[in-house]
Amino acid sequence: MNKFKNIFILAAGILSFAACKPEFKTPAPNTGAANFSRYIAVGNSLTAGYADGGLYLEGQQNSYPSIIGKQMQQIGGGAFTQPLFTDAQSNGSGYIKLTGFDANGSPITANVTDKLAIRGFVTIPGFGDVTTYTKYSGDINNYGVPGIKLLNITYAPYGNLNGYYERLLPGAAGTNSTTYLDFVTAKSFTFFSNWLGNNDALGYATSGGVGDVLTDKATFASLYTLLISRLTANNQKGVVATIPDVTAIPYFNTVTPALILATVQKSSPSVQAIYINAKSNNDNSNTTYAARPATANDLIVLTFPTSKIGTLVSTVAGMLPYGLTPYSPIENQYVLDNNEVAITKDFVISYNTTIKAVAASKGIAVNDMYTFLNNIKANGLVVDGVSLSSNYITGGLFSLDGVHLTPRGYAVVANQFIKAINTQYGSNIPLANVASYRSVKFP
Amino acid sequence: MRKLLLLMIAFLPVIACAQGFQVNLAGQKQIGMGHTGTGLLQDGASIYFNPGAMAMLPENYIQAGMSPLFFKSAFNPSGTNDVYHNADKLATPFSGYAVFGPKSSWWKLGLGVYTPFGGLTNWGNSWEGKYVLESLDLKAIYFQPTLSIKLADFISIGGGFVYNRASVNLTRAIPLADATGADGQAQLTGNGKGYGWNAGVFIKTEAGITIGIDYRSKVNTTINSGNAIFKVPASVQANFPQPNTFTSGIPLPSTTTLGFGFYPSKQWTLALDANLVGWHVYKALAFDYASNTSTLQDTYSPRLYRDAFSVRGGAEYKAADKFAIRAGGGYASAAAPDGYVTPEVPDANRYYLTGGLGYKIANRLDVDISFEFEHLFSRTQTNIESQLAGTFRSDVYIPGLSLSYHW
Repeated sequence: MNKFKNIFILAAGILSFAACKPEFKTPAPNTGAANFSRYIAVGNSLTAGYADGGLYLEGQQNSYPSIIGKQMQQIGGGAFTQPLFTDAQSNGSGYIKLTGFDANGSPITANVTDKLAIRGFVTIPGFGDVTTYTKYSGDINNYGVPGIKLLNITYAPYGNLNGYYERLLPGAAGTNSTTYLDFVTAKSFTFFSNWLGNNDALGYATSGGVGDVLTDKATFASLYTLLISRLTANNQKGVVATIPDVTAIPYFNTVTPALILATVQKSSPSVQAIYINAKSNNDNSNTTYAARPATANDLIVLTFPTSKIGTLVSTVAGMLPYGLTPYSPIENQYVLDNNEVAITKDFVISYNTTIKAVAASKGIAVNDMYTFLNNIKANGLVVDGVSLSSNYITGGLFSLDGVHLTPRGYAVVANQFIKAINTQYGSNIPLANVASYRSVKFP
Repeated sequence: MRKLLLLMIAFLPVIACAQGFQVNLAGQKQIGMGHTGTGLLQDGASIYFNPGAMAMLPENYIQAGMSPLFFKSAFNPSGTNDVYHNADKLATPFSGYAVFGPKSSWWKLGLGVYTPFGGLTNWGNSWEGKYVLESLDLKAIYFQPTLSIKLADFISIGGGFVYNRASVNLTRAIPLADATGADGQAQLTGNGKGYGWNAGVFIKTEAGITIGIDYRSKVNTTINSGNAIFKVPASVQANFPQPNTFTSGIPLPSTTTLGFGFYPSKQWTLALDANLVGWHVYKALAFDYASNTSTLQDTYSPRLYRDAFSVRGGAEYKAADKFAIRAGGGYASAAAPDGYVTPEVPDANRYYLTGGLGYKIANRLDVDISFEFEHLFSRTQTNIESQLAGTFRSDVYIPGLSLSYHW
């Protein structure tokens, strides 16, 4: 019987062995030459976590600065607090969601209008109506303000013109006079990220080159220099990102002239061209426009109401189908024509030259999102078994507005920032798990 | 107008199966001695190790054993402090053999049922590689009727026909989030079959050394009409037609073994085996879906495995008439080349240590227990196809028990 007892003891030993798991030694936390005890994020809508055409709680919670902040905490970084909407007002400004696909496979979207954080509207003299949101008065690490340009950071009344900024300021609507630059630098910090400058080009581009103007190159350079010198005034370290090429985003690459033409030709095979009202030259100061057939180099905005095509509109030559004749071209605001594309690209390249030069002069890390997103557009990106691309909806990176990112897209961006920080300062902030962040939600 | 084809939604080819996952658990006496046995006359497990030795067995056998396998694997994605553990799932490789022939005859007949290949991994649905694999349960059961003939007192040969019954159940997440943000899921389940053979020769030399040579052929296993179940949000379900089936083929590789037995004294048996496993047949894993769409294409996933070898040694000491102690160990090389390591088989070079006890409960009844510890060397890889990058570490703990009746 003793033998059986031995067997029993052996079996018990075996089972306890079986409880062992392989172990990994995680590297010792190392912040390198940087100090992450108070990290602040400076930027616009991309920094705020804007997605699907709005700012709402889930987007904020998955903003790239919050992901970076969370990863920094794994090596001893400080708390990272965001101006979040409350659960009761979790849909913030409202946003669009996907409700299905039509027979052509085109997406159908709907506005989310419940649980909003809209406080009201104020009329600012000389400017117009501004939507205001429920105020946030707590601590702030993420200073992302949707809509802000680099051009706006020293403009004292800006807090009255932008509801997302007004929300963070203590004063009543219309009474604010704190510049964005003063606001973000008021409380001491040890590390910053800055991704301002997108809207200085994007505002022009998304309005088809008519609703806004590009920020002057020299103005951009002087403001950027001022911004970075203020952010590094106490020798803080930080990371800045370059401005993506506007043609790398689905907002301009989804509704193409060829797609419109092909759709028209299904019912009217004789139609040979789609006409647009296009800039006649690539001189930014010259505003001559003329109708001409669209080519693959002309970009149509995602929000173009394609149902307008072919509807009869009044012209000097009588009632003519919209978009199909030189007398009834697709209007300027829907088209970033090839000359406007060239102008935008030229400005973005100039801005990026400035960003890299200023960062280099201060020894600041650079996350080159311009190059990164152009590479994705050309080659795609495979992460953790997921194929990502710049395509609308299916690409997984861009949200339903075609400009801002999905949580998964923001996680990819956060990892690019982390890699740039680790490379520059010798720190070992662990990368985020991209697979755990979602892409577009499907009904 | 914003026409959208859900083109190629990140649907990487589904992976596969057994490598590194050759399951060498075919008999408790042999496990105890480091998986040696091709050059020995131990028991009915010769049907697996060397059918050529069967006719030399002094007795007839009916035996069965089981080796519950605890596979402990963990993954640390590159550049992170995250560690994901494979869930505890118990695989149950087993073996059963029956050998019969008239006393002192020149022939014996046998039937073996064993599980030479398989894999059971479950990484769960929230780990970093979930879009590559959530879980895999692969089983291959070989049925092998066998005939062995003694040509002379010093040499015997034998061979058997192999019928393989395989089953697979594989799940992975699909990167299409529903309204709550939850992933879709693909599940592929099916049964397949394949055929092969196993033949060997056994020689007793005048020097008292025994030699065995065995060749187990490759078994091309085909899964026809497996169920391909895709759970995705309703608005994109049309891209993943349901119901759907798939066809796939898995080549299970050949194994060539040379084994020696040495008998320094009446109490001691020493054994040495060398194996060559023809993994080069596993060039790719392809899935052919019955209904395709622009999103759901047939897949072809290169594997490019290379032949692997192992060397093994073992010893048995008969402490008393009724009692034997065994120990052994070995080393096996990885079949998956760099860039092709996948979470369903985190293949790596490995060593193993084994031990065992044999006890004669009754005159004709043996009980054998075995224990194996297998350590896979840590392997840091970026998979070329999925770009999943990180370090795998795996350990395997395998207790086992068998009963043999012999007469």
